Amino acid sequence: MAFQTLKTRNSTISLDDVGRNAARLKTALPDCELPRNSGKRRTASKKALLKAIEQTGARW
Amino acid sequence: MSDFRPAFEAGLQVLAAISKAMDDKGFRPPVLVGGAAVELFTVSEIATGDFDLVTARQDVLEPIMQTHGFTKPHGLGVNTRGWVHPELGLGFEVVGTSLLDGAADQNYIRIIEVGSSQHVAIIGPEDLIADRMGQYASGTAPEMLEQAIFLFTLSKDLDRNYMEERIRHETAGKYGVSDVEDTQ
Repeated sequence: MAFQTLKTRNSTISLDDVGRNAARLKTALPDCELPRNSGKRRTASKKALLKAIEQTGARW
Repeated sequence: MSDFRPAFEAGLQVLAAISKAMDDKGFRPPVLVGGAAVELFTVSEIATGDFDLVTARQDVLEPIMQTHGFTKPHGLGVNTRGWVHPELGLGFEVVGTSLLDGAADQNYIRIIEVGSSQHVAIIGPEDLIADRMGQYASGTAPEMLEQAIFLFTLSKDLDRNYMEERIRHETAGKYGVSDVEDTQ
């Protein structure tokens, strides 16, 4: 059991399986590029957090 | 070798450790939502900037986050609800106390195993797609339609009836499942 405090209707799935399934299904999306969020609706809190992350030198 | 970005996987590992600590204390683990959930289900097709979390027990979660290396950013003009892990360059932010303001059924949350006995809870793709469609229907985020279609195409074993109900709810009845599946 993954969590004592959370039960759901779906079985636990591994991260590797998520990756494998999605990679297989991606073939149905030829040359499709997923658009990023525009960022226009970011809250002030979110903007400040992203700036703080950037200051750590991380590249997300 | 994993198809996910190493930095993203590192974030999931930290979230798993924090989730276990919450669960061990008798509290439900936080649920990953937003852009990081999209990144997980699309296998890093888009890269997120941080992890948005939903928990009813922010008072329990944040002290645990501190024991896992997170600090509150500070300084002139810095005013955020988020937390940063300086060593990993990660940001976590609690964005709500209930999943999609209580509209989502927690039974549809997915649990992902990210390592041996390490798990994270993540919003189900049905609700994530409905959320994207709600943002699209608002007229402020046209890019969300494509994200919803992409998520739908990459997701397996979706509960179509539940998703139909949720998309209708989030879009005030304007859109349904057919709007994310019939555009190929």
